[in-house]
Order: sequence, then structure tokens, then C-alpha cells
Amino acid sequence: MAHAPMFARAMGLPARLALYCLASLALMVVDSRYAAMTAVKTSAAEFVYPIQAILARPFGFLNEAGDFFMVHGQVLGENRRLILASQVFASHLQGYEALKSENVQLRGLLNLPLPVGVQARAAEIVRILPDPFNRRVIVDKGAADGVTAGRPVVDAAGLVGQVTQVYADHSEVSLLTAKEQAAPVQNQRNGLRLIVSGAGSDDRLEVRYLDMHADIKPGDILVTSGIDGVYPLGIPVARVLQVEPPRQTPFAKAICQPIGAIGQHRHLLILGRAEVGPARQPTQ
Amino acid sequence: MSIDKPLVPQGPLLLTPASTRLVAGSLILAYLATQLPWPDGVSWLLPDFTLAVLLYWSIHAPHRAGLGLAMTLGLLTDIAQGGLMGQHALTYTLSAFAALSLRRRLENFQVGGRALQLAPIFFGQQLLFLLLGLAFHRPDVDWRFLAAGVATALFWIPAAHLLDWLTGWTSKMHIEPADSDPSVRTRGRAGHGGRGPR
Repeated sequence: MAHAPMFARAMGLPARLALYCLASLALMVVDSRYAAMTAVKTSAAEFVYPIQAILARPFGFLNEAGDFFMVHGQVLGENRRLILASQVFASHLQGYEALKSENVQLRGLLNLPLPVGVQARAAEIVRILPDPFNRRVIVDKGAADGVTAGRPVVDAAGLVGQVTQVYADHSEVSLLTAKEQAAPVQNQRNGLRLIVSGAGSDDRLEVRYLDMHADIKPGDILVTSGIDGVYPLGIPVARVLQVEPPRQTPFAKAICQPIGAIGQHRHLLILGRAEVGPARQPTQ
Repeated sequence: MSIDKPLVPQGPLLLTPASTRLVAGSLILAYLATQLPWPDGVSWLLPDFTLAVLLYWSIHAPHRAGLGLAMTLGLLTDIAQGGLMGQHALTYTLSAFAALSLRRRLENFQVGGRALQLAPIFFGQQLLFLLLGLAFHRPDVDWRFLAAGVATALFWIPAAHLLDWLTGWTSKMHIEPADSDPSVRTRGRAGHGGRGPR
């Protein structure tokens, strides 16, 4: 040990504590108020993500090994079911193609902007963030795959959430069931426009501020209305379970169940933004 | 003042001082453990491995694991979890400070007793973390995450046993009171002047 210095030059522990606390607080304020920190965070995450991916790999292998040892009959049954399903889809698709061309024609006649076909990109959930404030997952597609922040994320059944942060080769999806998430929807039965919000639980959504006399009944299907420019039109979002009459507040409340299997899947679809083409299409 | 009862506590802090390699290695391992793909259902019950190991070193090797290291690890955790920058940094720094202040007292306890003394720090860290989130406009707080603070205190027990075994620290190495264990005292006299081998 070197001889003790005659005068202490280092700062005392409380002084250093105060300094570090101030620095952290400043960081938090900057991060929550300004977008400046996003670039720093994004580039820093590029170093952490490969580590997480490597750590997750053995677990992925375990899952795949489990799939490998699935019973033969199970696979056959599933295959048969999938073939049937694909036939059903193919028949639907024929009608869809006809409708699509008709739609293009009608839109041309009405001079409406033509929504370019929405492209979907499959992504796999690689990590679920242990965040007590928000429900977020990390998927394995990022800016390199053309993902941008704000894109809607769906599964085979319905809406799941929205891309909120994009890194180079992964991105962060905020689930629809988080309390701060909301989606503009309309009632499929009568076109009533509503806003459905998360309730902090995977199997519940709610319409918080509902007119006392709104025409909404248990069993109604809510689909995206497409008026916010984020979610394209017509993605199923929720099924109404019950409508609570107003008690202390002047608003009624509808409890809904999400249609997308939130929290139960490993694969998701990231939709491309429905790009609005040139404002006016020439009439045909 | 008699020489039998020295004013400054005598005795080695550690027989084999914690090597930088061991401190860094255990901290890296703990940090990686938090990055494992833990299932979603247990994330609120998951102990904070990094914090537990960090506080162990704050107590046993305060010259290596001080406030600066706590802040660095906190920032790394913030980056990995994608939350608010500085949230973990602040709570880790405060926890390390609390552990450093408690250090002298903790040396008189066995591992279980130390875990009990540290439990309020772990719990308080988690509580402060959630409150900071509330303060910075994240209203959707999952209060179940408070359980992680208790889980961290429980995790601290096996972790401390393991690290004690790795560093060769035994519970005989109490430094206070100096006359309770003659072997330690004589050894402490031999190396008079330093607080412990560095």
C-alpha cells in the first residue's frame, strides 16, 4: 500500500453520491423530455443486443428440440388441418382478388387516393422486457428489414400492438394491452367509432369513455377504423364482453377481450404503413 | 490508552483480497444472468442479480466496488432494459451508498443476518425504481415488481455463500470487537498500519 497522502484529495462519499445522483436525475429528465437520448440509447443497445441474442440461443435450441420430438400423428393431423385451412383461404382469396380489382376501379371512379397494398413482414419474439411500467417485447426485425417506428403489429387473428422503437436489427413492440396504448376502432355492426385502450392485462381491453346511450352490445366486434393513419382499416381488435353502465362518472365503459392472442405467440406480423399514393388518381 | 484495545479497528478485511478478475467476472456473470430470456410470467419475481453481486462487493471490497461502478452498472442495465436512462443508475448508486454506510455493522453478522439487514435496501431500491417511473410519467406501474426486491435479498444468501467461498472469507474475520478472536487480532497486529492487505 502506498503511503497515505497528507491531505485527502478525493471527494467524500456523500459528495460523490450527490454528484452521481444529480447526473442520473439529469439523464432521466433529458431522456423523458427530449428525443436527444434516443440516438444514444439506440447505438448503445446495438452492443447489448448481440449478447442477449447469444444468451437466448440455447433456449431456442431447446424449444426446437422439443418440436423435433413431437409425435408423428400429431404432425400428420396438423398437416391435414393446415391443408384444409389453406384450401379455405384459397377460395376466400379468389373472391378477394375480384373484390380488390373492383375496389381499385371504384376508387378510381370516385377519385379517391389508392392505398397501396399493405405488406406484412413476419418477425419472431426474441425477448420480453421485464419492465414494470409497460408491456413490451423485442422482435428480431429492425431498421435493416425496413421496419419503422409506429408500424402496426398483428398476428393471425387480430391486432397485437405497435412498433415503438427501432434498432438496426431488432425492434421493440408495445403491446396493445399496455395501459398507455390505445387504438381507434369502430363497431363492425354499426360503424360506431370508439377508442379502445389497454387495461394492463393480457386478456382485457376497455373502451373507457363511452356515451351513456351508445349502441354497443356484448358480442360486438371492434375493428380498426383507420382514421389515425397508424393502423390500417379493418383489423379485428376486440370482442365486447360486457358494457358497464355509468356509476360515478358520466361515461359508460365497455370491457372487451382482445382478438389477437396477446402474450401467447412467438411469431408476429409487422405491417408496412399503408402508404397513401398520389393524392388524386386519374379516373379511368 | 492501552494497546490491547486499539482505537482504530485492527485486523485484515480479507485474507485473500478479492482480485479484480473475480469482482469483474462475478459482476459480468450476474449482468448476463439478468439478460437471459426469462419467461414473461416470472419477470416480477426475478431477483436483480447485478445489484446483489454489486452490494456484496460494496461490502467486501469497497475500494473496488464504489459508487462509480454502481452507476456504470445501472446505466448498463438501463440500456439493456430499454427503460428510462438513469433510472437504474440512480437506484443502484443509492443502494451502494446505503451498503457502504452499513458495511461496518454488517461485518458482525453471518450471511443470513446480513441478508436480513440488506433486505430493506433491496426492497427500497425496487420501490424507488417504481416511484421514479411514476414521477416520470409512466403511470402504468405493476406493483408486483416489489416482490423482486425481496427475491433479491433471498438470492443474496446463496450468492454471498458462493462468493465467500471463492474469496476465502470466513465469518471468523470479524474486525470488531478486536479482542473477541485472538487469532485474528494477532494477525492484525502483524500487519499494523493498513486496514487490510491490498
